[in-house]
Amino acid sequence: MSGDKIGTDNLNTKLISVKRYLPDRSTEPYWQSFELPVDDSTSLLDALNHIKEQLDSTLSYRWSCRMAICGSCGVMVNGIPKLGCKTFLRDYDGEIRIEPLAHFPVQRDLVVDMEIFLEHLAAVKPYLIDDNPVKPFDPAAPQTYQQSPAQLARYKQFANCINCGLCYSACPQFGLNPEFRGPAAIALAHRYNLDSRDHGKKQRMAELNRHEGVWSCTFVGFCSKVCPKHVDPAAAVNQGKVEAAKHTLIALFKG
Amino acid sequence: MQQRDFDIVIVGGGGAGLRAAIGAAEQASQQGSPQRIALLSKVYPMRSHTVAAEGGAAAVTSAEDTHQAHFDDTVSGGDWLVEQGVVDYFVHHAHQELVQMERWGCPWSRKDDGQVQVRRFGGMKTARTWFAADKTGFHMLHTLFQTSLKYPEIERFDEYFVLDLAVHDGAVVGVIALQIATGELTLLRAKAVVLATGGAGRLFRFNTNAGIVTGDGMAMAYRHGVALRDMEFVQYHPTGLPGSGILITEACRGEGGILLNKDGYRYLQDYGLGPETPLGHPENKYMELGPRDKLSQAFWQEQQAGRTGKFGDSDVVYLDLRHLGEKTILERLPFICELAKSYINVDPVKEPVPIRPAVHYTMGGIETNPQCETSIAGLYAAGECASVGLHGANRLGSNSLTELLVFGRLAGEQASRRAAQTEWADSGVLKAQADRQQALLTRLCDGQGSGEKWVDLKHAMVQAMESGCGIYRTEEGMQQSLAVIRQLRERYRQVRVNDTSKIFNTELLECIELGCGLDIAEASCLGALERRESRGAHQRLDEGMQKRDDVNYLKHSQVFYQGDGHAELRWQDVDVRFSAPAERAYGDAGKEGKA
Amino acid sequence: MDKSSSQRFDPLTRTWWLKHRFFKLYMVREATVLPLVFFILCLLAGFVSLLQGADSWQGWVAFMGSPIVLALNLLALAASLFHAATFFVLFPRVMPLRIAGHRLPDNMIVAGQWAGVLAVALLFFWLLGRA
Repeated sequence: MSGDKIGTDNLNTKLISVKRYLPDRSTEPYWQSFELPVDDSTSLLDALNHIKEQLDSTLSYRWSCRMAICGSCGVMVNGIPKLGCKTFLRDYDGEIRIEPLAHFPVQRDLVVDMEIFLEHLAAVKPYLIDDNPVKPFDPAAPQTYQQSPAQLARYKQFANCINCGLCYSACPQFGLNPEFRGPAAIALAHRYNLDSRDHGKKQRMAELNRHEGVWSCTFVGFCSKVCPKHVDPAAAVNQGKVEAAKHTLIALFKG
Repeated sequence: MQQRDFDIVIVGGGGAGLRAAIGAAEQASQQGSPQRIALLSKVYPMRSHTVAAEGGAAAVTSAEDTHQAHFDDTVSGGDWLVEQGVVDYFVHHAHQELVQMERWGCPWSRKDDGQVQVRRFGGMKTARTWFAADKTGFHMLHTLFQTSLKYPEIERFDEYFVLDLAVHDGAVVGVIALQIATGELTLLRAKAVVLATGGAGRLFRFNTNAGIVTGDGMAMAYRHGVALRDMEFVQYHPTGLPGSGILITEACRGEGGILLNKDGYRYLQDYGLGPETPLGHPENKYMELGPRDKLSQAFWQEQQAGRTGKFGDSDVVYLDLRHLGEKTILERLPFICELAKSYINVDPVKEPVPIRPAVHYTMGGIETNPQCETSIAGLYAAGECASVGLHGANRLGSNSLTELLVFGRLAGEQASRRAAQTEWADSGVLKAQADRQQALLTRLCDGQGSGEKWVDLKHAMVQAMESGCGIYRTEEGMQQSLAVIRQLRERYRQVRVNDTSKIFNTELLECIELGCGLDIAEASCLGALERRESRGAHQRLDEGMQKRDDVNYLKHSQVFYQGDGHAELRWQDVDVRFSAPAERAYGDAGKEGKA
Repeated sequence: MDKSSSQRFDPLTRTWWLKHRFFKLYMVREATVLPLVFFILCLLAGFVSLLQGADSWQGWVAFMGSPIVLALNLLALAASLFHAATFFVLFPRVMPLRIAGHRLPDNMIVAGQWAGVLAVALLFFWLLGRA
């Protein structure tokens, strides 16, 4: 029972280049290279932490859980959006180029302003809407809704989004028009629309069924490719198109 | 400096903070007078460490289960160092909070009939842990965050680092926060403040915690004279991944996973947890479903006896899930598979997972009364940062997620009640306090000090805590750690950060966090040293201190801040109104007892 | 201080799609419409010439037989097959089909779609053969 497939052996050095931006000092970004010791288990986040603690303490980036669940540490690695903690340097040969997430305004170094992303999330009413429940919640006699495993399975995948924003950096439509609600927000709306306990689809359609809603998407599909949690936001957006089209048709017939 | 006025300020955007915000908003609208609520967090709320909780949340659910049983498990799990009135309140409000979460959309795992499913957990007499696959904390946090968006009265201040409380005449009057994006100070005047800032696992080198779990809120209250209680009790989770310390949930064992030493032997049977339960038939409170402190201690014993294996540099034992079969593993423990594959390249379906104990949870914290109020009027605390008295000397897995809800709501409601009857204080106090903070920041950035580096101090701190305050402790080791920590506190006064920019200066933040860490590390060491007995997670190897000593130490430790001087310790009686201390036994030994 | 005052922003350039293989493939998928437009125009021209009489029709048939037009239409066929392939793969994600509560496997739906194409093609050849 020996498990030393990934260990501290295979020690070598790698070159990482980071796109720096220090607005206090200069309005122009610049590249800075670091050579650092790595082994098979070194993640990009480990490397950034090493830089901060040993080489240049002024490097700024976000991180927290280091286990790919908090969604803080998204960056571009050789032009592709990735989570720093789930990217391993062993998988890269040659120089590794790190930039802040694309399509967002950069605050400093690898830190981008996520404000617009949070606005998009909030705009789609991402919470359970059930205005006239059969049985209202009563703390004295609390009762859950019924939901079968099959009903749960319908939306579960779309509930796994960690809000890391990688999909927005992968989406050229968001890059061209930041008003597009974007993959994660629409996936979240879809998650609630598919939830058997929810009755808020109509309210959310006002947001989804418009140009900046689902109709900005041209199914490039890269958002789903880069999603670290296999949420498949592209599927959610395009299922949303079907729903939106149905919604329009029904509205048409009802007059 | 910008100043804003709110009825209630909540510091921390994790499970407890969000639940407090919603609780306060609901309470205010019930009172018929809407209140303005500010929710500050040093990270976006969904980054908070609640997100990493995996296993589940406990509440009496099935018809066969009783509040008494959950109470007994929690009290004996905490080795009788719990506030029994608090536990009683907790077990009676746990279920309604989990149902409330369900009504807000939390995707709890289900049984075929559409009812919520429960799973076994360590130290619990029966299956009562609600779960959402093995990402329970993630789903709870996102459900709470998304639900909080419904309340326009909650205004979020994301990425604001709270530097200090403003206190006047024994009452809290607001907070001073640093807007991380700009480096500007913001003053928030408030009638009540709730601290929900999480634990302090990052005091230790090897831990399961996120980088943000640095104990800032604890230090803030502590520096204003609130006692830190029971800080010597630090939980080692028995199953962390070697190298990183990434958490492998207890639910693995709840589902039937077993622990093996390097010889493939289920060693837990040698440590009062046996007899061995048949493969695939886990039994509550036996073997792998013993409490976390006992399991981590058993690892240490195996390590001493040379029966642990090696993975990289780490001594490890093995968590074997293979007999559960691929379908169950992928359905119930998908995240564990993802983590084990990504971080140590082991597939739990095919191989046993090497694991070792890692610091996981701070049982102690900011002392509050059973209504979550601290000794400062209007200042409340809830969640891991608080010591409301629920966990005692050892927390049972799946009690803390429920705690966030039960006491987060209570703290929010209490804050709302107080705010309804209180006026804002004069803002002069706030401004004076803010000026002091500004001076401190200036000192850190352009100080004349000898230029001590925060990195060096941090490494020395985590090293000292690990070597002196580990799974087993000795008088000598703790003396040494305490001396080191006190020395580091002195050196910290000379610390200087390299980065002087205002915009997103994370070096400055790490340095401030370290200052907080050092203060509470002293409290933790002092409590450990003075507790001359073994209880729960605090185990001593010293002669005559290897057993629990109820005559002298059935008492909470309270540590008080003394500025640059040495902290002071006092003892406080424990509420044992329902259940007299008895022997804490698991496995067959626990059969006859009331456990 | 407003945090946005010190931010920098890189707007997307016109050549954004050249930066990654995935985007290039996407552009190829979208570009399949161009040869198809040509094919549709040919078809329209055919209808018009049919209305205009036999001479015109013969001229159209000759035009369609010219190597360049043939090549372009072969390209259109290939493009439409390629587009169909990408579309069929995406389809189960857009319209997940369920039978008795169970989701149909993606590859079954893809196979079903190709079976549909084959059936239509066979029907077409059969009709052509009878004519």
